[in-house]
Order: sequence, then structure tokens, then C-alpha cells
Amino acid sequence: MTALATEPATRSRTTSPYRLTFGHLLRSEWIKLVSLRSTWWSLGVAAALSIAISMMIAGASSSFGPGFPAVSAVLSPTQFTMLVAGILGAIVITGEYSTGMIRSTLTAEPHRGAVVVAKAVVVSALMAVVTIATYAVSIVATAPLLSEGIDWSEPSQSIVPLAFGVLSMVAFTLIGLGFGFIVRNGAGAIATTVGVLFVLPIVVTMFTMAGEGWRWIVDLGQYLPMNAAASLTTPGGEDLVPAVLALAGWTLVPLLIGWGVLRTRDA
Amino acid sequence: MIVAEQLTKRFGDKTAVSEVSFTVQSGKVTGFLGPNGAGKSTTMRMIVGLDSPTAGSVTVNGTPYRQLRAPLAEVGVLLDAKAVHTGRSARNHLRAMAATHGIGRARVDEVIELTGIGSVADKRAGKFSLGMGQRLGIAAALLGDPHTLILDEPVNGLDPEGVRWVRQFVRHLAAEGRTVLLSSHLMSEMAQTADHVIVLGRGKVLADAELSALVRAWTSNTVLVRSPRLSELAAAVSGPDVTVTAAEPGMAEITGVSAASIGDLAASLGIPVHELTSRTGSLEDAYLALTGEAVEYKSKEIS
Repeated sequence: MTALATEPATRSRTTSPYRLTFGHLLRSEWIKLVSLRSTWWSLGVAAALSIAISMMIAGASSSFGPGFPAVSAVLSPTQFTMLVAGILGAIVITGEYSTGMIRSTLTAEPHRGAVVVAKAVVVSALMAVVTIATYAVSIVATAPLLSEGIDWSEPSQSIVPLAFGVLSMVAFTLIGLGFGFIVRNGAGAIATTVGVLFVLPIVVTMFTMAGEGWRWIVDLGQYLPMNAAASLTTPGGEDLVPAVLALAGWTLVPLLIGWGVLRTRDA
Repeated sequence: MIVAEQLTKRFGDKTAVSEVSFTVQSGKVTGFLGPNGAGKSTTMRMIVGLDSPTAGSVTVNGTPYRQLRAPLAEVGVLLDAKAVHTGRSARNHLRAMAATHGIGRARVDEVIELTGIGSVADKRAGKFSLGMGQRLGIAAALLGDPHTLILDEPVNGLDPEGVRWVRQFVRHLAAEGRTVLLSSHLMSEMAQTADHVIVLGRGKVLADAELSALVRAWTSNTVLVRSPRLSELAAAVSGPDVTVTAAEPGMAEITGVSAASIGDLAASLGIPVHELTSRTGSLEDAYLALTGEAVEYKSKEIS
């Protein structure tokens, strides 16, 4: 009794059963993510594109000659679907800025770091699940078209590149999310994301023709997100550590900068 | 209770809020008044941690907002009706907001019912009218059954029924002992709703007083007199504190003396009086007198 009596008798603190927790925040971000049409449009486009291109590649694979790894038919579309993943990541946050929703989000959860982490976790989980489902459909759909099926007894020809494919799609999504937190503006964030994912690798390729003096740019280009993902998803690839680190860096650095921006700037 | 101490916010070299201190008491409706650009919204944004103060501090029930353990259960906020993703339905918006605090579906349905948006709850918020958006914002503010409510222009865009509902609702909340801070540009509405008024102008507190005391201090009672022998009457009432302003032939506005004294004086002198009307100042008069110098965006007088 005495312990109770010394508690300040503020009504809301003693009677409200509601608590802000990270678990609750994840649930909230999940509801937000799945209740927008743009999410399902992005995921639908990515899945359809991925499956269709897989089938095209599988259909043409007989003319590639022997030695074409069957799993590559499933993974090759990543160079296109990565853009959709990046854009989805970006609009998850820029949509909140353009509509003013961010003010509701930050009054409900004033710890801004938690907002960044919750959004990253939720969008990563959804992207991973959808990518796994897409791969499963692609594997089944391409099987009749391939002369040699996926060799499941050899992990480096099957499950390892597939797992890295899922990881890469998650990384591309988070790169978009990070740039979204930094730039805040939808068009700007999408342009930056597409620039890093798609345009920079092309620019780097041009330097291969520029002679030995520019060799270092080509070497650095190996650490761009798309190229790192390409080495990870190539069946039988060796020495994957630098590529994993590069992809992790591209994912974490924009998110950390984005968190810094969110923390210090007014919403 | 909301306590602001020396709260200051600068944007570049422009000072939006300058060393503002005030206390918003619980059990009362406190009106937040001031011209456009006076710093009301910025102050409200600092209370809920959206903007960081350049200097000073503000607490809600003794704690800075960002450190509250269950913000939505302590403070309900309506900063502007557009703090909603346009692509999400009202119900899903409320469900997402509620989920952050583990607030269940039953409460979401309750606030939808309470604010009268049931028929549009499953439509996308982007299709809402200003009034419906306003109701949705109020619904979100009520989710956690908070002890403190901060409402920026809650009646903006509402129909008369909605305006009256907000007035009765916030009066009811204050009567329950809750803290209500609301801003509005509708002076007549504020006069009927608020107990206490804080007036901001150019980022400073111009007044912080009970509504009735504020009106008394910043307006003077005028008496409208109509008489065929007005000049004689005017000469008779004249004194050091009395001003007589001729309004039209045979009519004048007199301040500084009560209607009763004028009537008695006229009777004793045998001067006929055709009209004798006492006028008390309104909140609007007090507000205009108070902010006259502090208006940043002044409209041109129509001549």
C-alpha cells in the first residue's frame, strides 16, 4: 500500500495498459507495408518479371551449349528485378515524407533509430519471403525447359547461389530504403538508387575500354552492389567474402547515414 | 500538464519561437492564439518532439515527449490533418498507429465510431475531404485515451455540427481533468471553448491569462447612445477617462463610463435618450488589440 501511495497519481500512467515496444512497432510497420497497393504492385512486378525472364532463359538454354548452370536461369533476372526492389525500399519511407505520414509515425514512436530498424526488418522479411516464393515458382516453371536440371546434390550449384540471390534482393531493398531516409524525396531517392544499382555498373564497364590507366576504376567496380551480387549468385563462385562485405557495406552505410539524418533533422 | 521553459527555435537566421515559457494546466481547455507565423505550430511540434528546440525545454507531465514510455497513451496529437498516407484506408491508418502501442481493434472501431467516420473508414485517406481528414486526425489522437490533447486547428474545415462536436468534446475532456491545448483562428469558437488563453505574436508570449481576464484587460466597455440632444449629453459626461466618439448624427460611442451613469445623468438633466446600449468587448477585440503590433503578414485595410 505504501509503495502505491508514493507513486505519482497520474491517471494515464497508472491505468493505461498500452505500451510502446519494439514488437508492437514491428507489427505497426508490417500493417503499414501490407496495406499499401504500391507494395503489392512492386512485388507483383518483380515476381512476374523474374519468372518470365527465367523461363525465357531456360527456353533458350539448349543453344548455350553444355555447362550452362541450370540455377542461373532462375537467378539471372536479378539484374532487372533489383531495380524494383530498390524502388520499393525507397518508397517505403519517401511515401511517408510526401504525404506527411512521417509526423504520425514519429509522434507514435519518438525513438527514431527504432523506426529505421523496424522498417528495415519488415521490408527485408517481406522481400525475402516473396523472393523465395518467386524462385520456387521459377524452379518449377523452368524445369521442363532445361535439358539439365538443377543439381541439388551440389550446394554450390543450387542452394548457395539461391540463398545469395535472396540476400541480394534484400540488400537492394535496403539500399533503396537507406537512400530514401537520406534524400526524403521520392524522385530523388529513386534516381539515386537506380544510379547506384544500374547506372554506375554501366559507367564502370565503359572504363574497361579506356586502357590500363583506368584499370583501378574497373577493379573498384567489382564492389558495386550489382557486381558484388553477380559474383555471389554465380554458381561455383569462390572467395565470396569480399563480395559479401561489399554488399553489407552498401546496405549498412546508407541506412546509418539515413538514421543520422532522421535523428538530427526536424521531421 | 505541459510546461515550456525558455523554448526557442531558430530556422537559419529567422527566429520562429523566442524564449517562450508557459504552463498548460490540466482540467482546463487552453487556447493557443496568434497570427499566422506567430510560432504556434512550431511550438506544438516541439512539444511532441518533431522539432528539436534550439534552446530551452518542454515537458509533458514532467517528462520530455521523446522519453515517454507510451506516448500515444499520454498525449494525443493532431498537428495537421495531412499526417496520413494518402494510399492507406482510414481504418488501416488507425490500426497501424494503434499497433505501435498494442492498442486493439476494439479501440480502433471505438474512435471511428466516436468521430463519425464509420461510413468512409475503408476508403483511402487521400480521397477524404478536409473535414473528414480532420476527423480522422482527431480519431488518431484519441486512440490511446490520452490524458493530454494537443490539437492544432481541429475545427478547420469542419461543418457546423463538427465544430460543435469538437467544442463539446474538448470541454468534456477538460471536465474529466485532462489537459487540452488547442489552437484556432475562429475567435468566436475559441471564446466559447477555452478557459485560458495563451497568445503568441512573432514568436513571443503576448498574453497568458484566463479568457475573461484577458478580454477585460484588453477591451473597454462602450456604451452606444442615441439622443436628439447628444452634444449637451456629451458635454455633461465628459471627464478625464471618458472618450466620446461620434458615430453618426445623433449617435455616439462613449467609453469610460457605465450605461447606468449616462442614463441617470440624462434623466437628471431632462435630456431624452432614444437608445442606450452597453457593449462588452469580445475575445476578437482583445486579440486584435493585443496582436496589432505583432502581425507579421498584415492585410491592407479596405478603404
